[in-house]
Amino acid sequence: MSDGVNGNGNGTAAVRTEDLWKVFAHDGIRVEAVRDVSMTIEPGEFVVLAGPSGSGKTTLLNLLGGLTRPTDGRVWIDGTDITELSERKLARLRLERLGFVFQAYNLLPVLTALENAEFTLLLRDVPPEERREKVEKLFERIGIAGLEDRRPGKLSGGQQQRVAVARAVVGEPALVLADEPTANLDTATSTALIDLMAELNRDLGTTFVFATHDTRLMDRARRVVRLVDGAIVDDDRRD
Amino acid sequence: MSTRGSIRLRLALRNLRRQKRRSVLSGSAMVLAMALLVFSRAIAEGGHEDWIDAGVRMGGGHVSVEAPEYRTRRTLEYRLSPEVRQAVRDAVASPDVAMRLVVAAPRLTVHGLASSSSGALPATIMGVDPERERAFSGLDEKLVEGRWLEPDDRVRAYVGARLASRLKLKDGSRFVLTAQDANGDITGQMVRVAGTFRSGIPEVDEGFVQIPLTTAQEWLAMPGAVTSEALLLRNSRDVGPVRSAMRSALSEWTDEAAVLGWRESMPELDAAVRMDDWADYIFHLVLFVIAGTAIVNSILMSVMYRTREFGVLRALGLERGEVGRVVFIEGMVLTALSGLVGMALGAAIVWGFFRNGLDFSAMWDMEMEAAGIVIDPVIVPRFHWGQIVQSLFFILVIGSLSSIYPAWRATRIDVAEAMKFEE
Repeated sequence: MSDGVNGNGNGTAAVRTEDLWKVFAHDGIRVEAVRDVSMTIEPGEFVVLAGPSGSGKTTLLNLLGGLTRPTDGRVWIDGTDITELSERKLARLRLERLGFVFQAYNLLPVLTALENAEFTLLLRDVPPEERREKVEKLFERIGIAGLEDRRPGKLSGGQQQRVAVARAVVGEPALVLADEPTANLDTATSTALIDLMAELNRDLGTTFVFATHDTRLMDRARRVVRLVDGAIVDDDRRD
Repeated sequence: MSTRGSIRLRLALRNLRRQKRRSVLSGSAMVLAMALLVFSRAIAEGGHEDWIDAGVRMGGGHVSVEAPEYRTRRTLEYRLSPEVRQAVRDAVASPDVAMRLVVAAPRLTVHGLASSSSGALPATIMGVDPERERAFSGLDEKLVEGRWLEPDDRVRAYVGARLASRLKLKDGSRFVLTAQDANGDITGQMVRVAGTFRSGIPEVDEGFVQIPLTTAQEWLAMPGAVTSEALLLRNSRDVGPVRSAMRSALSEWTDEAAVLGWRESMPELDAAVRMDDWADYIFHLVLFVIAGTAIVNSILMSVMYRTREFGVLRALGLERGEVGRVVFIEGMVLTALSGLVGMALGAAIVWGFFRNGLDFSAMWDMEMEAAGIVIDPVIVPRFHWGQIVQSLFFILVIGSLSSIYPAWRATRIDVAEAMKFEE
């Protein structure tokens, strides 16, 4: 594990938050996007953050991923309090322990599918042969083998999102955060993608946290945390 | 290069390639600026070299040796003795000087009067070695009537055409030169007109007379002595090393001989060249501000357009500074490539079209004179290594300055906000 981002012994939860607040102030108007959220997600969980638009799902996901700093409260990822980390250490933590899947795929347009998928491994100085082997295996597994040399512009939405999933999981992160990953996909592609992530969760033990409206995804989740106006109103465990 | 470094470089280069049209358009401003820089520097260098060449030929040479106080007093009391002249000749023969030398010309200059039956006028009288002076000043080529001085001439004079006209002198006419000799006595010398010349410089044509050096030395009672030894060099950039070599060789004679470069002996010409250089620099500055603005604009637009992409890079684990470096590399590569293309284009234009000179005579139909020299309307462009180094330096500076701000902007992107950005 990297230097400087080791846990402080605060349990082995994949994610833990304590009294988490995120308040935006714009033109003198105060918006409480996340209100007093305390939750724990164990390793290997497949969790959905559900709620209407504006309920704070994406903001909470950004807080968990260290993409934005909380106004108050704390977040531990794999035992590390990320609210205390410097920008540099936070970047390192994101690289080594987190994977992201975005609604708009967000592949780097100038890189090929393979280069996109191996991007985090490249940043971690993994040798080229090992990178290629890992990505090719993953591409085979998620059904996009043979598309390695295509640029994102030459891939369908479903294929792009699969590459994005491959990029998120290839480094075997402690946690994958996915923001509306199926929102831009048709039904069949969405279902296939959900199957794929459930399979990766089951087989690799990767923890997934989704922010979504998608009922199909909620149906597959083993835990659904409902948010309204930035606060948790229900935490439904289905184990 | 580290793996992360190679990723940054790869991202930067591919982004430039991805935005081909924008890269080419903004790069073309730099291409144009560099081409103009190379072209205008070559023309300016060529023009300056012409000015300097004309100036030193009519004046004291690229390097001159004279008595320390001669420049301020202008009297024969301050002259170079035969012993000092021998030391100068030895120094000139040394390899460091000889390899850069065209010719060394001894001169005995005095201010006096030229008189004929039509009147008397003030004149600068210069005793010269006819053969050496022919190679030095080229004044023989400005002949109007008669001929240039011959080595065995005794009492012949080569006279400025305006002076000859005002004294009503013709080829073969006799007239008298009067001046104070080395002993302080007023003394006269009768001479005959060998030829008249027109240099184009009013002061020279109205008051300059050249006579054989031996005649001048006898007349002014200073056998073997001169007021200066003037050195004409192959290139004005050789002044530094030659002056140093001469100073070192004449270190034992510092009380009697001072070694001056043309900038010291001709401060008006130096000022004219410097002023022209500054005008050039201002022109180049304007040029580069325009090119730099185009580059800044292009890179900044690219940063704005790719806000989400930079957010993704940050989310995936790139640090702020690394994102900034991707943008900085893009700016530097764009500037460097377009700058180098511009340099090559500028050099090709100069070499292809103007290697034999750019003729400005259509723009001015009369003789142009500045700082005591006649400006040749045909300017032959010149290149030297310094110009290439200077151009590369400009590329580096403009590239850095144009890339810093967009790079800084890229580092300030808020990752969470960037994800909301619509491309």
